[in-house]
Amino acid sequence: MSKIELKNVTLNYAERKSVFTALDDVSFSVKAGEFVSIIGASGCGKSSLLSLLEGLNFPTQGVITIDGQEITGTGEDRAVVFQHYSLFPWMTTRGNVIYGIKQVNKKLTNQELTAIADDYLEKVGLSGFENKYPLQLSGGMQQRAAIARALAMSPSILLMDEPFGAVDAKNRKILQELLLELWENSEEKKTVVFVTHDIDEAILLSDRIIMMTSNPGRIKKEIPIDFPRPRTGSHLLESKKYLNFRKELLATFFNDISEKIGGEEVAL
Amino acid sequence: MKDKLKKQLNITNLLFIVFLLIQLLPEQYSKETYEINIIIFVIGIQVIYLLLSFLNKKEEKMETIQDIIAILYLLIIIWQLLTSKSAILNELLFPAPGIVIEQFIADLPKILEGIQSSIFIIIQGYLLALVTAIPLGLAAGWHIRFGNSFLYVSKFFGSIPPIVYIPYAIALLPAFRDASVFVIFAASFWPILGATMAGVFNIEKKILDSAKTLNVGKLSMLFHVMLPAALPEILMGCSQGLGISFILLTSAEMIGGKTGMGYYIKYYSDFGDFTRIVVGIIVLGVVVSILTYFFNLLQSYLLRWRQ
Repeated sequence: MSKIELKNVTLNYAERKSVFTALDDVSFSVKAGEFVSIIGASGCGKSSLLSLLEGLNFPTQGVITIDGQEITGTGEDRAVVFQHYSLFPWMTTRGNVIYGIKQVNKKLTNQELTAIADDYLEKVGLSGFENKYPLQLSGGMQQRAAIARALAMSPSILLMDEPFGAVDAKNRKILQELLLELWENSEEKKTVVFVTHDIDEAILLSDRIIMMTSNPGRIKKEIPIDFPRPRTGSHLLESKKYLNFRKELLATFFNDISEKIGGEEVAL
Repeated sequence: MKDKLKKQLNITNLLFIVFLLIQLLPEQYSKETYEINIIIFVIGIQVIYLLLSFLNKKEEKMETIQDIIAILYLLIIIWQLLTSKSAILNELLFPAPGIVIEQFIADLPKILEGIQSSIFIIIQGYLLALVTAIPLGLAAGWHIRFGNSFLYVSKFFGSIPPIVYIPYAIALLPAFRDASVFVIFAASFWPILGATMAGVFNIEKKILDSAKTLNVGKLSMLFHVMLPAALPEILMGCSQGLGISFILLTSAEMIGGKTGMGYYIKYYSDFGDFTRIVVGIIVLGVVVSILTYFFNLLQSYLLRWRQ
């Protein structure tokens, strides 16, 4: 059975006089322990799609199930990392992680909570920053802390909404490999749905890429990625297969965008 | 050493010397002006200032202290020059600084009692407003539909000058103390409520989304997420409420009180005792400044997470 299953999902937003279709008849499924990236240009509905999985929004038509159960709202089985504002700025790094753990496990003592939090902060390389407030950290470090909080809540599904979109190029590479390492080495592999507009990021991380087109948001293509794991960015770049594959993907991607908006330049 | 001496060549020390020189001028007021008091006061300030400037390493903070003291010296010099040293101003209306200090020392027990009474009333009314307005504001902000209409209601009540509640307060609560507590409550309630609701309205939606995805419970959502997220605006309302409270309480004490600094000023103004009026005004200014200072300290502690 699939971990996550979307069947004919349509999402409409009511505007003043018209109806905007953000997602049109979207169906796909994600296996347990699979890493799936959703890729597409801005406005293709990929973040809307993720908000449905988060349980913050509900489909106009169609059904989304997790482990066969229809989603009725947010849940402890899912943890989310946003691009911004995942962390609460008035809590320290440690405080944020502890607050997250407390929501799924209310019985732990303060000592246990601190121990778990510090353990996860160490895993993401934030030892020594436990008592800093998010605004005292760089954007990359904030995302590390957000990942630590998400993992510390031990969800079976990790939902990531362009988590590295606001991080500089160098740190983005480091964070991608950190995420890969944490995901590959976890005892029970988490199911990840990762939204991005960065093709290289999607190839590096995913088992499968779901490419979307915009207006209305539809699935254009599902592309399995079978480069052997563990992967690193530098290894991939050396392989010829990767370069060809990337070229092909980019062509599909751009082809779509130029079709839709008449060749206007789009930030990828 | 040379550098340290050079650092002392500043406006504050210069004004201190000017002050000392002025003391050589003969007195022009007919009554005793107790000039020695103001001389001791200024020398005391100067000693503290010198000690601080030798001990304190933080240049920036020291500059502010230095400037404040310079302004204080300047005011005292002008005050003395216009009163006891020249008699340009009317001796009966404008007491010299020395005699004000003499009167302050003589009335100190009475003054402390007055301050205590005023502060107790303010604390009661203000705390009552805090514990009712903040939870109500959070709850109203939460229920947006309800909140929208409520925002107008609170704006309407907030726009009424709270002093108009005084007749009702006196009619319903004959004891001056109770009436004052009520008026302080009514005056600080609306700005705090309005600020809390505005604060909740303005919380970044993504912060709330993030909290929702953590499956935060309702109470935790209110007090661990919305309250701190709205705190910067809530504190602005609190500071506004505190300011209004003092203005109102002083007015109330002047109108119908038997205690407090407002009463002290009003009582002696009936006798034309301008020395005591000046004492009352200065004491009020100092008390409000000290309270504001501590409020600001508390505020920057509570908002220490904002860089």
